[in-house]
Amino acid sequence: MRAVERDGAAPDQDWYDAFDTCVGCLGCETACPSAVPYGYLINATRSAITSERRPPFKLLVGLRLLSWPRLLRWGSKAIAVVQRLGLLRRTGLLPDRIPFRSQRAKNPGSRNLRSGEPAEVVLFTGCVMDVWQPSVHAAVIDVLNAAGIAVERSGDAAGCCGALHEHAGLTDDAVSHALRVTAALSDGRPVLVDSAGCGAALKHYGRLLGSKAANEFSSRVYDIHEWCVDDSRVSSLVASVEGRTGRPTVVVQDPCHLRHDQKCHDSVRDLLRPIADLIELDDEGLCCGAGGAYQLLQPDLAQAARARKVASVHRAIRSESSVTLVSANPGCMLHLSGDSSLVARGVAIRHPMEVVADRLLGAGMRENVGRVASSLEVDLDGR
Amino acid sequence: MFLEVCCLPAGPAAGQNGGVRSQYSIFRRGRKPAKKAKRWNLDPVENELIAALGADRVDSGGVALGLYSRDGSVTRGGRAGIVCFPESTEEVAACVSVAASHDRPFVARGAGTGLAGGAVPCDEPIVVVTTRMNKIHEVDVDRRLAWVGPGVVNLDLTQHLVGTGLHFAPDPSSQQSCTIGGNVANNSGGPHCLQDGVTSAHVLAVETVLPDGSVVVLGAEEGRAPGYDFRGAFIGGEGTLGIATRICVRLTEDPPEVATLLLDFAKVEDAAETVSAVIAAGIVPAALEIMDQRVVEAVEPFVQAGYPVDAAALLIVELDGLPGGVATEVEQVRDIGIGHGARTVRVAADEDERARIWKGRRSAFGAIAVIKPDYYLNDTVIPRTRLAEVLTRVYEVADERNLIVMNVFHAGDGNLHPLIVYDAREPGALENVLEAGEEIVRISVEAGGVLTGEHGIGLEKKRFMHMQFTDDDLDAQDRLRRTFDVRGLANPSKVLPTGASCGHVSSLSNPPADLWI
Repeated sequence: MRAVERDGAAPDQDWYDAFDTCVGCLGCETACPSAVPYGYLINATRSAITSERRPPFKLLVGLRLLSWPRLLRWGSKAIAVVQRLGLLRRTGLLPDRIPFRSQRAKNPGSRNLRSGEPAEVVLFTGCVMDVWQPSVHAAVIDVLNAAGIAVERSGDAAGCCGALHEHAGLTDDAVSHALRVTAALSDGRPVLVDSAGCGAALKHYGRLLGSKAANEFSSRVYDIHEWCVDDSRVSSLVASVEGRTGRPTVVVQDPCHLRHDQKCHDSVRDLLRPIADLIELDDEGLCCGAGGAYQLLQPDLAQAARARKVASVHRAIRSESSVTLVSANPGCMLHLSGDSSLVARGVAIRHPMEVVADRLLGAGMRENVGRVASSLEVDLDGR
Repeated sequence: MFLEVCCLPAGPAAGQNGGVRSQYSIFRRGRKPAKKAKRWNLDPVENELIAALGADRVDSGGVALGLYSRDGSVTRGGRAGIVCFPESTEEVAACVSVAASHDRPFVARGAGTGLAGGAVPCDEPIVVVTTRMNKIHEVDVDRRLAWVGPGVVNLDLTQHLVGTGLHFAPDPSSQQSCTIGGNVANNSGGPHCLQDGVTSAHVLAVETVLPDGSVVVLGAEEGRAPGYDFRGAFIGGEGTLGIATRICVRLTEDPPEVATLLLDFAKVEDAAETVSAVIAAGIVPAALEIMDQRVVEAVEPFVQAGYPVDAAALLIVELDGLPGGVATEVEQVRDIGIGHGARTVRVAADEDERARIWKGRRSAFGAIAVIKPDYYLNDTVIPRTRLAEVLTRVYEVADERNLIVMNVFHAGDGNLHPLIVYDAREPGALENVLEAGEEIVRISVEAGGVLTGEHGIGLEKKRFMHMQFTDDDLDAQDRLRRTFDVRGLANPSKVLPTGASCGHVSSLSNPPADLWI
């Protein structure tokens, strides 16, 4: 960037190619003693060069799709059919089995109950995550409900966070997503996010939009783990099952946007520590190579980075059996699940909140959850 | 600090540990070879290199040439010809042979963190990048040695050894990024070299590709090869004698007990006097480092080490050895410090506190961008007893020129690192900085010191060689160099003030003649 800005180098194809290899993990920000905001500089540069060079067509199509939740749902159903027919190779780009039914359909009774009284918190449901990995949102809702906290899903009204658009340099698209999200969730309640990438994007709306309202919005965005650890109801609930037998062994993989951007990766550990035996990786938060659309655009590098991460996982778990690998970001979960050696070893790849939900439900909270859930969960779209 | 030479993983010994560190290497497969096909009209040298390495590991594109034309120094104006990424001794030998057969110069390069321009390519040479030769081939715990590739990052080796009770002693402040090949090229030091000695004391043997393409092993695993000590001559050669492709390093036992002290002073001179007094009292600490107030202010927000930011200077003292001895020395150092005006003496209570104290020291150079975007880091060594007096002069020189100088240095070795911060976009800023730098070098040499402690001569200090050496001295050194490199192809224009100059100093459109280095 400096070569172009200060030394007058031409941004030619070579330069673009070099720039495109940046996965955007922001490990550089964590490492920089001078606190240079590389993420901001990289996004600004990407934004500036999109006018010179359009992003790849497949990326544009993919990103556009994220803005159309209905299309996304129907498209996903189509892919799910193809998957069931065994016509798709396992790649790590898509879940192994995309569910046929969306989360909304699974909770038919949730939209009209107690709609007169707003839920205490809003869960940001995003775009593909809601369709492809509904079990994660479900786990979050179960846990919060078990602690007696009513949850509202942001649903289609808020839609996609626009993080991938911003990373691709499509600032206008990112801004319009941000405006939509902030408008839909403007009522001052905490916004909880269970995807590290989306959470980081929401927390940066203040900088992206530059408005007072956006700053206010960003100030009440919390990563789900961050919020749960600070909330006494959830943490005491989790602590209440601490002594039970059958603690799972969990390897913690930090998503870059949780560790280097939001810097709240320790919350995951704090939340899991009472109920699971944690194993740390020795790579100090090295990126797994998922990088949002990166695995689509730079498959070779993404796989090389994943191989490195997987090697680190194998080192960490040694001879342990039945290990769960947790990652608080849907992209990382998908990307890692594309590695056959983890699958072969029986390593389950899950979201930390799924592990928490399992422990709580397994601890006899199931009936309780069932009862509270149907009364507390509401859906924005349903109003 | 520490740049360049070196190289690779060869096949044979690469067994048990090879590849274990691969997760630390930056992405290894990168460029798509398809792109290369579009470039025609390659010169024959590039064709031969591609035949030896493959198209994806030879690059002459604009971005690569730009990136590999500079290093961590302020030197600019270098121009790489073709950049190669060999992965084995044979491939390095092939690159060098191609260079030799075409009479083309070549420059070895490690992580490019050098601060004296040692890896800056002059006259469009072949740049031989050794970062992919990053395998730890063999660790022999019983014999306390390891064979490593030159591209192994210094800290990666140390981390690899965790659990063996051994470590690699040289620990340059840039150890997170500098390579062991570069450490060899510059005979690098580091905070802990006060007690343990610099790189040459920790390298037993070096497999080297000589400038004619032949491969030899200098030194021996057992430490003493018959005949002259060519290993000793090679270490610190700054890439002018050949390219190291496998390095046999000595491993040092971890000390049973370590104590890290942080002393703060109201005057920099008091800290300097304390250093001299500690050594005079017969204590040889593992490390003795000073940071002045500006450095502390810059790094504290990043490391949160609890440094007292109102202190004029902090002195880090690390003592190691047997538990009883360390405890006694801690008290001795405490008394000496208080006797010389230390306001407080803090002893790190645990490993975390110790790590934070060191992280601040190691992050110092990286933190200066909070003050100004550019810096020029000087490196001279002076007699320890004259630290206080020379430091005073250094501050005066900067004040006279209206510059901000920050001092963070290996006090125990008398190795100064005055760091002058500036903004290269301001007209005349760099000239002013370099003139101050020259003045500091002169003051150091007049005080009985030497030109460089660990960053090397490279391009930057070549013009000062006459301050230190007579023509006869330089001639003798040139003849040594020619013994290795008859035709002068290995990293030409470096170290010795002979031959054509190539680099100049950054951003100068019309550099005065005396600024060319």
